[in-house]
Amino acid sequence: MRSWVPCLLLLLCVSCDVFELHPYEIRGGVRDTNARALERLQRNVSGGSFRFAVLGDIGVYQDDSVDAVKDLARRDVDFVVQMGDLTEFSSAQEYDWVAGLLEDASVPALAVIGNHDLLGKGRELYLHRFGPTFLAFEHGGSRFVLFDSNSREYGFPGNVPDLEQLRSALGEAPGGGHLFTFSHVPPGHPDFDGSLTEPLEQLQAEHGVTVSFHGHTHRFSTDARRGVRYFIADSIELHSYLLVTVEGESVAVEQVFF
Amino acid sequence: MARSWLVGGLLASMLLAAHPVRAAPREAGAPWYVPDHAALQFAGSIGMLAAGPGWAFLDEQLELEVLVGWAPRAVAGADFVTLTLKGQWHPFHVTHREWSFRPFTVGAAFSYTFGDDYFLTLPDRYVSGYYWFKTALRPALLLGGSAGRPVPSLGLRHLEGYYELVATDYRIVQFLQNPSTVKTGLFTLALGARVRF
Repeated sequence: MRSWVPCLLLLLCVSCDVFELHPYEIRGGVRDTNARALERLQRNVSGGSFRFAVLGDIGVYQDDSVDAVKDLARRDVDFVVQMGDLTEFSSAQEYDWVAGLLEDASVPALAVIGNHDLLGKGRELYLHRFGPTFLAFEHGGSRFVLFDSNSREYGFPGNVPDLEQLRSALGEAPGGGHLFTFSHVPPGHPDFDGSLTEPLEQLQAEHGVTVSFHGHTHRFSTDARRGVRYFIADSIELHSYLLVTVEGESVAVEQVFF
Repeated sequence: MARSWLVGGLLASMLLAAHPVRAAPREAGAPWYVPDHAALQFAGSIGMLAAGPGWAFLDEQLELEVLVGWAPRAVAGADFVTLTLKGQWHPFHVTHREWSFRPFTVGAAFSYTFGDDYFLTLPDRYVSGYYWFKTALRPALLLGGSAGRPVPSLGLRHLEGYYELVATDYRIVQFLQNPSTVKTGLFTLALGARVRF
């Protein structure tokens, strides 16, 4: 009878993730975080007025991101988008910690993929934990498109970011609403495919994108290119994020501190 | 991928080829390179199972092991093959009847993962220093203990079971930066067995 005890203990241990088979193992844990955030969001029907938040790079600052997510609870936002670099090493455990944090947030939380999330088996881990790297959805009459702009990680193949996919996603926008895009590396940065900077900026201008959100540089900045506003969020250890208020035609982007 | 399998297979066959030598009782004055024990380990971030020869020094206070690890796709989501160099210090040795205990072990390991998805030197697309760590080479700190005894019925001079708390580089870095998030996630558990020849 007593020989069952170690077996039971072992089973318990496996279920509480005490064992790690490899740093990049792709098993168990939270799955499809983005899709489940969207399900939560769709239950919350919004009119033409709503708010959302944009969180910067997390990397090695997970405790600060816990504070950020707590602060979000008192801001009356419908959802939040994290701008990539969820992890520092792309390890399965870091993915677990961050997916758990976003899953438990008081508001639906989505994330784009960053360059630090693509190391080792990072891409597979992102697909497992968060879902496809390209995602388009509608909320409050506006359209939101998340995509992968980490060109350097793929060796600048010429199709990262995938402008054709972006073009069709932007083309399906409902009339009257705003268009918002989200990707980690901002166009014009050396880690963004130089041959795609102008085409991307042109594409976003043609489709009347209201704001293009980014991370990667770790420092807040904003400018306008061909009539499109570009915002880069501070990385999370600087204790700030972006709060976006949409009221009909007007869109206000505010940097708030916590 | 094919190349990493080839290298892994080659190492495994070398270890198997060495088996007859290791199975023989250890003779006094055997050359230093003849292993004096072998280890088999479950988990510990170096594969689902890892096995290989080991060498003890300074009256078995210091041990060095070379382990080949493997995790299958069916369990780990991808095939992983690793080669790990592990060094351990067992400062205390307690015996009770035929049992021997090494209650405290501290060590370090470097684990190399085979495959094109991991780098040891930064690929050309990056400027130098772009990433400060190497995805193919994982350092880790180890804490553990072991208990063993001779098992004459199986013809074993000494068989011991051990546990190890494994803190890999990313866990240590994240723990130092984010103690409230990581907490006990600093460590994972490895279990294993050692056979002395």
